[in-house]
Amino acid sequence: MLLSVVVREVQVPLLASLLLGGSAAKLVQVLRVRSIDAALGPTALFPVYLRRTVAMVMCGCEFALGVGLILTAGTIGRGAPTNAVRLGTALLFLVATCALIELRGSRPDVGCGCFGDFSTAPVSGRALARSALLAVAALSTVGLAPLQPPHRGVAAILPLGIFAVELALVAALSPEIGEGLVRLGYAEPCELRIVPAERTLAALHRSSHWRRHASLITAAEPVDVWRELCWRYVVYPGELHGRPVELVFAVFLRQHRPAVQAALVDAVTGNVLPWPQGSVRPASEADRVGRLVRAPAPVFSAPTDPGIGIPAVPGMRSARFGDLPFSRDL
Amino acid sequence: MPEDRGDHACCDRCAGAAAAARIARRRLLKAAVFRPADTRAAADTRAAAHAVAARHADLGAAAGPRDAAVQHAVLAAAAALPPDRARARFATSGELPRAVTGEIIDVSPHFLVLSHGAGQERFALTPDARAWRGGPLEPAALRPGDQVVVRLHRTARGVADRIWANIGRVTGTIVERTRDGLLVDEGSTRKRQFVIIPPRASGRIQVRFPSLEPGYLIDVIGLRRGGALEGLVPATSQPAYRVDQMPAPALVSGHVPNAISGSATWHEPADDPPGVLGVAYPALDPEVGCAEGAGPPIPGNVRMPYLSIGSVLLVRNDCTGSSCLLPVTGCAAVGRLFNDRCVTCGTSPRSRVADLTQASFVALGGELELGCFNATITIGG
Repeated sequence: MLLSVVVREVQVPLLASLLLGGSAAKLVQVLRVRSIDAALGPTALFPVYLRRTVAMVMCGCEFALGVGLILTAGTIGRGAPTNAVRLGTALLFLVATCALIELRGSRPDVGCGCFGDFSTAPVSGRALARSALLAVAALSTVGLAPLQPPHRGVAAILPLGIFAVELALVAALSPEIGEGLVRLGYAEPCELRIVPAERTLAALHRSSHWRRHASLITAAEPVDVWRELCWRYVVYPGELHGRPVELVFAVFLRQHRPAVQAALVDAVTGNVLPWPQGSVRPASEADRVGRLVRAPAPVFSAPTDPGIGIPAVPGMRSARFGDLPFSRDL
Repeated sequence: MPEDRGDHACCDRCAGAAAAARIARRRLLKAAVFRPADTRAAADTRAAAHAVAARHADLGAAAGPRDAAVQHAVLAAAAALPPDRARARFATSGELPRAVTGEIIDVSPHFLVLSHGAGQERFALTPDARAWRGGPLEPAALRPGDQVVVRLHRTARGVADRIWANIGRVTGTIVERTRDGLLVDEGSTRKRQFVIIPPRASGRIQVRFPSLEPGYLIDVIGLRRGGALEGLVPATSQPAYRVDQMPAPALVSGHVPNAISGSATWHEPADDPPGVLGVAYPALDPEVGCAEGAGPPIPGNVRMPYLSIGSVLLVRNDCTGSSCLLPVTGCAAVGRLFNDRCVTCGTSPRSRVADLTQASFVALGGELELGCFNATITIGG
């Protein structure tokens, strides 16, 4: 069998599978969002009141042509009906190519929508090339004799190889492949991990840093807790040799044995203080409870923001907006 | 006209006075925990180093020498930063075109006199100066009493470059449609807004926002008239989905890149003072209740790491090249509902990565009436 004939024969199943895949992806997207309006793509070129109709027609055409290509691949509808389906397919891809060119110019932010929500990337040269390639492939099938039953053994290698090569070419031209691969491998990185603050506090209370420094703490609850990327910061008020201090803990957001960093800060000046050597021992539970009862709230000698109980520090230009950049001096 | 809701909550999420003090305090305390070498460059890049340190720790750095891992990460981050990053620091009035907000006292073809909290200020108007009040107009056509945002000339501080009069913006979910207009929920951190769409702007807005019904999103720019906004310009295209039918998030793996590109928008000052330079971030720690609605945070197509009030971002206007470090001063949960692109200069990746204060947006070279600029944010600055 001539190579050119084999190449032309391979186009029929390839086109049919792409058309059916495209219509199925659109249908899945519509079902998930529960609105046909979600299937945008080239429908964005049409007036609002026509978009729904155009989207339905596009999806229906793809499905009908995909099924038609399969049904007419053999002897069914031999002649004019077969050629009509294949010409229709070529016409669809030609129109799609022109629509994508127009879409690229007028709505550069909209994806082609070819495979539903996999096709959200803006229309690129690759998508245009793919559409044009498929139009040529569809044109090449016009006038082709009915396809023979699948070959067996060695004879099947040639059509399968051509099919694989062309599929790889289409995949290389498909931005949707990247999106699909991205969706396959999901692992939540620490900066996106949702870890409740209670769990962070529990991990902190189990840590050696906490055991070493807990005797300095004078309140049961932290005065501030916040998160940045993979760390959660916890601030407790404390007292060292009669001076108000703050103990800052940074707890890594991991489920088991998270890393903990700690610092001791002078509550008045904001200076980092060295940890006291030898004088700090793990406090007993009774001792800690007694401390909390005696001093339920920290007392600061510095000016304190009444809203949040955090002392102002020297260097801040004012106790309120001083450290925020302003566009003018209010 | 429906009444505004008065139960909006702020707590840890608004750029108020308490938040400003908290931002400063958090920066200081965080620096105390991860204190790098006392070089200027290292100090500037301290926050960026945290991300690297976290990744080292997450990748299973030795359980014992955590300090060494963090220190190594700090140094690695400092060494890896490009020179422009190493130089970057908080925006100051001397480096960026300044944004001034106030009320017009007097205007002539050559001068503009504003009144604001610090008194009155007089600016020269050059022939190049442009103004906007619902549309472009000559600066001399502005009226006393107009509330304006003025961008000053980059090189001459006493010269007005761009003037926006009575400009306002409403971004959120339509909760009610009446004969008079639309009641819009801008999220739990802000009051509800009422939008009136005049007949002359109706067609223009409906082309981009075909579904002005409860449950759909709206983002319009227009003129402030009393407590309502006269919507004149669509700021984006309406997402096809309803807010309660958000598309599923993309399943992705690996760490979030340090630099994230997308669309940077602006918002009107609510509890924060008009001149503050800051950014409302769309992905605050879920613990502070920034996400709109019940349930887990609403996912966008772009993965954004969780941050808090006081975190620092390097925001770059990809259209002009201007960039500066800005603190996170608020929550922009509504921004996550829009999964749109900005096409001010080219096509940005999908998603809103920053919701800047008016002053920040203007200072970074944004045009308020366009609604957005293509931006790249770098976590940690």
